Amino acid sequence: MTDLLPRAEASLSVEDFLEALAEHVGEQALSGVTNEYDTLTLHVEPGSWVEVARVLRDESAFGFDLFDSLFGVDNRDEGFRVVAILYSTSTGVRVLLDVNVPGGRDAPVLPSLTGLYAGANWMERETWDMFGIEFNGHPGLAPRILNVENFEGWPLRKDFFLASRVAKPWPGVKEPAETDEDGNVVERETLLGDAPGPTDLDKAMADHAKAVNVAIAEPAVEEAAESVAEDVAATEAPEALVELEPEPEPEPEPEPEPEPEPEPEPEPEPEPEPEPEPEPEPEPEPMAQAPAEPPVAAMVAPWPLGVGFEDEAVLEGELPDLPPDDDPASGEPEGRL
Amino acid sequence: MSDLETRERIHPGTAPGEDIALEIIGDGDFDTAEMTLSIGPAHPATHGVLRIIMEMDGERIRDAHPVIGYMHRGFEKLAEHRDYRQIKALVNRHDWLSGFANELGVALAVEKMLEMEVPERAVWIRMLLAEWNRILNHLMFIGSYAIELGAITPMFYAFREREDIQYLLESATGGRLHFTYNQVGGIKVDLPKGFLQQSTDIAATIRKRLQDYKDLILGNEIFQARTVGVGALEREVALAYGVTGPTLHATGVAEDSRVTEPYLKYGEIDVTVPVGEHGDCYDRFYCLVHRIQASLDIIDQVHDAMPSGPVNQKLPKVVKAPEGWTYLRIENPLGQLGYYLESDGTKTPWRLKMRTPSFSNVAVIPHLLRGTLVPDAIAVLGSVFFVVGDVDR
Repeated sequence: MTDLLPRAEASLSVEDFLEALAEHVGEQALSGVTNEYDTLTLHVEPGSWVEVARVLRDESAFGFDLFDSLFGVDNRDEGFRVVAILYSTSTGVRVLLDVNVPGGRDAPVLPSLTGLYAGANWMERETWDMFGIEFNGHPGLAPRILNVENFEGWPLRKDFFLASRVAKPWPGVKEPAETDEDGNVVERETLLGDAPGPTDLDKAMADHAKAVNVAIAEPAVEEAAESVAEDVAATEAPEALVELEPEPEPEPEPEPEPEPEPEPEPEPEPEPEPEPEPEPEPEPEPMAQAPAEPPVAAMVAPWPLGVGFEDEAVLEGELPDLPPDDDPASGEPEGRL
Repeated sequence: MSDLETRERIHPGTAPGEDIALEIIGDGDFDTAEMTLSIGPAHPATHGVLRIIMEMDGERIRDAHPVIGYMHRGFEKLAEHRDYRQIKALVNRHDWLSGFANELGVALAVEKMLEMEVPERAVWIRMLLAEWNRILNHLMFIGSYAIELGAITPMFYAFREREDIQYLLESATGGRLHFTYNQVGGIKVDLPKGFLQQSTDIAATIRKRLQDYKDLILGNEIFQARTVGVGALEREVALAYGVTGPTLHATGVAEDSRVTEPYLKYGEIDVTVPVGEHGDCYDRFYCLVHRIQASLDIIDQVHDAMPSGPVNQKLPKVVKAPEGWTYLRIENPLGQLGYYLESDGTKTPWRLKMRTPSFSNVAVIPHLLRGTLVPDAIAVLGSVFFVVGDVDR
């Protein structure tokens, strides 16, 4: 075992340290000790939480005088853990005190360390603010220290969903937690409740993006003479594109295109997978389609983000003429149908 | 420690003004009104959106309650939804004056869990840029603290130097504030040609000009009258609050993780930690200025030791830290920055706790302000060195 005290003359091993600690607080105060990744962690029984910290602070053999931090960790179905980190400026040892907070997920309560370390005051306020863990003996956890005062919920609990993820899925297929090595959208295992996983729309977008890339990669070799943009239109998804791309002239539509059907939309896709060859063509395509756009925009209205969020055309302000055209365009197909 | 001697000569151990005999008019029993004064959230003395509610008895502060959270952006929650390689773009924003140190901390924590060896040249480059970032940070506080105490010139001087350093760092990283230069396993790209020469030149220039700061600010009698004996922080209190960095060093504790828990290659070079004695505003500022000197010494040593070789390595397509947790602390410019990283074996962290120096430094402000006068409050607030974004995260 490595020495814990690099600076002190008398080196102290982990075993000696634990032995000395057990003399003061008793064997039953600790439920375990881990030392992975150079992080000495004492798993403390909730009943001895304050006592262990007091001994570590007051006994001259330890002298943990620097209160580093205190915070909560979501411990899945078992409730929460609280970790306090103490450091000794005299010996150079740092120790993590880890405790399972009694009370489960419904009413987690832990004794406060504010009587020992003044710095625990704000740290415990923050832990209450983020996890809803009460600290007995704390001078005043409210008002919320970081969140706004009328905020509801405990943001760092895993069953509190990140608001932006609920409002809209990740824009694209590159979201790290939802794609595997091959870019396939996978369901992330949710441990608590129904976290917003990939929606049908996400999967449709991902499949379409892959289809586009395959289509671009293959015919580009065979028919090099033709422009790649035409390849995409012709080979990739003839039906989809024809459906989605009503010509300016009123033509008989093959399908009615009901609103909830999230049809893969060709424009936002070309970005996610940067292919060397098709690189030049994503720009021309949306530009060329821009005039013929309005009906498309109307049909993909349920699209969460609007058309072409990442499109150069939108960013450059090429599409502002969409809204005026919207109304007649959306009215026409309905009338015909 | 010539500057500390200067301090003793001009103000031998007394708070300024104590030796002036005031003529008391009347019976000396003034009626003072109790009032509550709200400073901030947008006040120049608070460096950002920090609000301090002061309970006043006349001009004396009876109690103070900092109100934080105006800049809370939920970084810890966001980090749980980011790939390990994406987190660096988050963390170099919570303390925008120490971007390099923050992303370095995350990179080191992930590498520690992956037990990954980083190429030697990358380690030295990280040290070099981390020290430049430290100087960049301290120059900002030198300028801003002086301007709060009514001296406007040091701000211009500090920004002259900052511009040189930012130009230097921009040439390597492409960023002036948010460098995004570290990555798991090394750094993004190697240094551009001529960087080390330019770095040497700028270091020499700043070393020469550093004496100007000492003469102009530390040796200034008005500055000393505003800071000596003001806002003294006791060593035990500082430790109990978790105060670190120059604010702790000013109380005489040389607790600097570059020395006590060397990371990178700090164990192979000489690192000086300037310490004060009294823990007051003057000593805090003294430590800040002299930390620049110490950083310049480190930079010179890094220049001499810089090896050649690769600066990064090929990573797997998906970086997944193994299950478990680690705690890694580094010496941020403002103090001890700690990252508690817990992983459940997936691509995103299960928990990333950011233990920031500014949070603890602001927590101690009520203790410092009790019993002081309002003008001293400005001197105290500027001298505990915090960035509001680092407090609120």
